[in-house]
Amino acid sequence: MNRLQYVAVIVGILAVGGLVAVNLGDNNTSEAAAPTVTADPAPAPEDQPTTTAPAPTTAPPETAPLANAPEFLGEAGTLTNLDGWLQTDNTEFSDFDGTVRVVQFWTFSCINCKNTLDNLRGLYQEYEPQGLNVIGVHAPEFAFEEDPAAVAQAAIDQQVLWPIALDTNKTNFRTWQTERRFWPRTYVLDREGNIRFDRIGEGAYDELNATVAFLIENPGA
Amino acid sequence: MILDLLIEGFESALLPCSFVVLVPGAAVVIASRQESTPAFIGFFIGLIALSFWRFSGRGADLPTTIVALLLAAAVVLVAIPLVRRLNIVTGAGGLLVGAAAGALWVPCVAIQFADLLNGLPERTPVVGVALLVVYVVGVIAPLFALAAALYLIPNPTLILARPVMLVVGCGTLAIIALATAAGFSDEIIGRLVELSVI
Repeated sequence: MNRLQYVAVIVGILAVGGLVAVNLGDNNTSEAAAPTVTADPAPAPEDQPTTTAPAPTTAPPETAPLANAPEFLGEAGTLTNLDGWLQTDNTEFSDFDGTVRVVQFWTFSCINCKNTLDNLRGLYQEYEPQGLNVIGVHAPEFAFEEDPAAVAQAAIDQQVLWPIALDTNKTNFRTWQTERRFWPRTYVLDREGNIRFDRIGEGAYDELNATVAFLIENPGA
Repeated sequence: MILDLLIEGFESALLPCSFVVLVPGAAVVIASRQESTPAFIGFFIGLIALSFWRFSGRGADLPTTIVALLLAAAVVLVAIPLVRRLNIVTGAGGLLVGAAAGALWVPCVAIQFADLLNGLPERTPVVGVALLVVYVVGVIAPLFALAAALYLIPNPTLILARPVMLVVGCGTLAIIALATAAGFSDEIIGRLVELSVI
């Protein structure tokens, strides 16, 4: 072998070895790619039965409220041109007005969306009795995620307990995220509809939980 | 944080969200075996540039027609060495493919990369690009492995295989360009994602 080939071997071993090592040591990654897609024909959204997910086992998050009020990040938009709602009798975003809301743009085969669900479920369980609304805005990335029946099934499988707005044509995904568009995107809105938390992707769970706790406990904040 | 970001890039390399980067990247590596270094560098620079432009909010998404044109031009540039070996031309081809991949890429956003993305508009471009480079190195690790594997093929074999590799690489890029122009690229990627997750 010449010198270049030796370098190639080392680079190849490092690259393959790195991938293998990372994935052997990370159960979350292998678990990640396992959404269930129903093969049933899709009924129209309005014909969808209200789906109730099985009781989850998530423990409520340990939440310490913020010392100071969370920053105002602008006024939130509304949800328009939806394909319907799942898991709620509400039919408009305005039906949730006057409450603290967590609005998350997600899609069911997105691994990073799934990774946020445990925390969101805990938050929902802890604060829903105190008036928190969580709204999952399902904005499909790919065609196979557009089927409302598949979304409903995924909600059961992934224990998404809260109302789901079907943003099938991604109108709201684009209007809420004017410049940088990612899945998931999580917002917290105060009772007046102002954005008080905005996060692209996973993480910042402590900040999310503390923001919700603060807004729930300080109605005028 | 740097190491965590690199490891997260490694992890993402095996997830469907990286197909958009890895498939055209593999096509460039395969097509440009004899000039893989300039092609690879070009691909990397194009990918980083467009990704940073989009992810930092400095620019909007490119229209798919433009992306398709970038890919079509890249097919020509990557194929030219079949006639005449010119590193600069192959590098330019890689650059265009990288830019197209960066324009289409919807990355996985796990914790470390999410931290990077959320802070990107406020960071200086130098720091932002540097951190993005770390992550992308992890994401394209399979391309390093592929390029390394091609170097291990003995030269006589490689000379025989060269036309086939060029056809496979450029053919793949041409198919991606056509699919993008026709608006089918999302559908194809979606189908791949669907197959990979079931």
